[in-house]
Amino acid sequence: TELRLSHQWSNQDIRHQVAQIVADEVAAADVDLEIKIFGSQSLFKAREQYKPLSRGQLDMTVFPLSYAGGQQPAFNLTLMPGLVKNHDHAARLNESAFMEAIEAKMAEDDVMVLVHGYLAGGFAGKDKCITKPEDVQGLQTRAAGRAFEQMLAGAGASIASMGSGEIYNAMQTGVLNAANTSSSSFVSFRIYEQVACYTPAGDYALWFMYQPLLMNKSTFEGLTAEQQEALLAAAEKAEAFYLEEAKKEDAASREVFEKAGVEIAEMTQADFDAWRALAQETSYAAFVADTPGGQELLDKALAVE
Amino acid sequence: MAGQSSAAEARTGDNLFLKAVAALSTLAGWLSAAMIVIAVGITCQMIFIRFVLNGSTVWQTEAVVYLMVGATLMGLPYVQRLRGHVNVDLIPLMMSRRLRRVMAIFTLCVSIAIIGVMLFYGYEYWHFAWERGWRSDTVWGPKLWIPYLAIPLGFGLLMLQLIADLVAVLLRIDTPFGLGEDA
Amino acid sequence: MDPLTLGALVAFATIIVLFSGVSVAIGLLIVSAGFLIVFDGMRSLELMPEIFFGKLDNFALLSIPMFIIMGASIASTRAGADLYEALERWLTRVPGGLVISNLGACALFSAMSGSSPATCAAIGKMGIPEMRKRGYPDEVAAGSIAAGGTLGILIPPSVTMIVYGIATETSIGRLFLAGVFPGLLLVGLFMLWSLYSTWRSGNTAVLTATVYTWKQKFEILPRVLPFIVIIIGVLYAMYGGVATPSETAAVGALLCLLIAMIIYKLWSPVKLWEVLRDSTKESVMILFIIAAAGVFSYMLSSLFITQAIAEWIGTLEVNRWVLMGAINLFLLVAGFFLPPVAVILMTAPVLLPIITTAGFDPIWFAVILTINMEIGLISPPVGLNLYVINGIAPDIKLKTILVGSLPYVACMVLAILILCVFPGIATWLPDAVMGPGF
Ligand code: NA
Ligand code: NA
Repeated sequence: TELRLSHQWSNQDIRHQVAQIVADEVAAADVDLEIKIFGSQSLFKAREQYKPLSRGQLDMTVFPLSYAGGQQPAFNLTLMPGLVKNHDHAARLNESAFMEAIEAKMAEDDVMVLVHGYLAGGFAGKDKCITKPEDVQGLQTRAAGRAFEQMLAGAGASIASMGSGEIYNAMQTGVLNAANTSSSSFVSFRIYEQVACYTPAGDYALWFMYQPLLMNKSTFEGLTAEQQEALLAAAEKAEAFYLEEAKKEDAASREVFEKAGVEIAEMTQADFDAWRALAQETSYAAFVADTPGGQELLDKALAVE
Repeated sequence: MAGQSSAAEARTGDNLFLKAVAALSTLAGWLSAAMIVIAVGITCQMIFIRFVLNGSTVWQTEAVVYLMVGATLMGLPYVQRLRGHVNVDLIPLMMSRRLRRVMAIFTLCVSIAIIGVMLFYGYEYWHFAWERGWRSDTVWGPKLWIPYLAIPLGFGLLMLQLIADLVAVLLRIDTPFGLGEDA
Repeated sequence: MDPLTLGALVAFATIIVLFSGVSVAIGLLIVSAGFLIVFDGMRSLELMPEIFFGKLDNFALLSIPMFIIMGASIASTRAGADLYEALERWLTRVPGGLVISNLGACALFSAMSGSSPATCAAIGKMGIPEMRKRGYPDEVAAGSIAAGGTLGILIPPSVTMIVYGIATETSIGRLFLAGVFPGLLLVGLFMLWSLYSTWRSGNTAVLTATVYTWKQKFEILPRVLPFIVIIIGVLYAMYGGVATPSETAAVGALLCLLIAMIIYKLWSPVKLWEVLRDSTKESVMILFIIAAAGVFSYMLSSLFITQAIAEWIGTLEVNRWVLMGAINLFLLVAGFFLPPVAVILMTAPVLLPIITTAGFDPIWFAVILTINMEIGLISPPVGLNLYVINGIAPDIKLKTILVGSLPYVACMVLAILILCVFPGIATWLPDAVMGPGF
């Protein structure tokens, strides 16, 4: 049997390596199962992988779940400012009643999770450091994700919506003063050439995005028992790797920016609390208003220590 | 030779069906042009809001993208009527007049079939988005069935125009591939 | 079937289908559907409208109709004639000033239009009759405008550069800048050839042009002012932090429409509709090909053909310049038959990894690719510019236009060779303005 896995990253990215581990392990198990990986959006565009996955036209994907927030509003909770404190907290969330509820939503779309994983990100400012809400006042800012746009707008920033690939140019010409995205995007788009200050994900980080390896549920159930077993075993191994590498990624991005001569700023407990208070009034409130059963889901997420 | 048959638009003669389809295609073309103009306006408005007023621009990029997709799909039948879709008629040119007619009928049938496939699955996709209430994942978050509606509409009208083109060739109202008889 | 054999089969089928007279975009859909059904089953066929929509769902594509509107609105006025007339009055002492002026006007007009046929039509409408009246050989009159028009896609803004930028995820601002000096290099080569061939034709009368008074020279200047305003406005918007390149296109379109309406009195709704209709026609044609080519490249990728070809080339132990030569030959042949946008979209996913592994700069390669596409525009069987000239000057035989264009093809090949030896001609400006980067 041949399964097709699609993702949006280059083959150096850790999310590709996660997929590769699963593919290699399954191949080694010798259960007549081959996973063909289509990276760099060579099959589907980044945001357009969930629909074919849910309709069984694609078998697997490594996918930022909040991209599908328009189809299942509950998924917006997987990219919510301040909801995840650090990588170990993220790992505990993966095992919680909150994640169970999210997985139930995925099951409605005939989708299941093979490998859980969160990645973090930070802020970069063209002229100054961004650590607390007052810092973004009046800046043209690009945010990664709907909830972050709502929070930053609440802080008085002007929101400019554009793809992460456009950040570099927009910063260079001055269309943009600040940006928020993942640690790996900051590095791969060479944003360090354009900014004065970088606030990486550290002890406190606001931006955590859930990016699991997903599979079509019916396709999984159609496999033999040995094949399913091999896939689950491979997934377990990949998940451990994912968590370790996700932690290293933030430190690595800090190092790259430091080397490029960019000032590094740290977010304090007080800064984090201020952002979170703001998020509660803006993004959390909007989420609860837009999502049936939203409050209950949010409480489940906040209950995870 | 070949290229964009800059010569003329589809001929309708006195045929009522051909005239009706031509009118529909033209209407779609106006809609397409209007969408392009609106996209220009919205983009300039966005630059003004951001550069002059330093304000937020949340919905503009997305609206412009959907307008452009809409303009493309709705423009398909009109551009087909104007013979604006570039083609390479190397093989028909090497054929005798009779064979060329057969070739034109054959390629039109295949074209109608493939656009029919796009129409069928495009309708299904639109219906899926409509039924499930899909929205885009932005702050603006418009309902996706609205932009997706351009898929069945655009391909449906293009198919109609292609059928009209086939009828025109069959009734000898128009020449195969719009080529002159002596070419 | 192994992916390489399958790839050869796809190439063969594509050629047959595209030469059969169906429109290029529909042909690409037919080939894609055929191979998907046979080798991938129905589930991929279901996806075609979704992928089609997805390819168009890209903000950068907005700039294509915008840059086309810019050219079309200006071309519908007598601005093109003003432009070359002004150049001619000032270049009057230069022997063969008129052909030089026309080529210069083509270059300037290219800076306002993203497409080649528009440039060709705008300058040729007045330029060709004028040159013939003054005794320039038909070959030179038609050939110089056909060739000069191709600059539309090399000198920024350029629709093909936008498409290349989207297909390869390279910076469109950077690509635009890379086209400037190679564009000027081509203008220079074109001018040299035009002078030489006019001189060789033995008609020395044309070499001594009309003499203009200083009054005549100055009174025409205000009429080229709008061009300067547009070009500076667009450049400022694009590189001065006002807007991204895609957004700038809309400003340019609005500026051009306004100038056409206010300065050139393009008030009549009929005339305005004509501008809009022609722009819509060209844009929809290009965007249809873009979306269909997206489905085509999905098919190639899904059947693992793209990946297999890139791998296969990687294992070939050939000199990188031999490789570049082969790629150029391939592009040249593809350009003979297909419109530039189709060539770029069908080949970019396969070619780009090869280019970068061989150590070539993708920005530099965009320029090489564009010049290859320009050659296709003035060579049979699908030379769009040849047909534009044929439309403007129906009494010049297509064969004469063709013969007149051939030497300019040689100039373009020469320009490609020069760019291979001195890649800095393309890469220096983007590096200087935007800093060394991607
Ligand atoms: Na141009
Ligand atoms: Na050609």
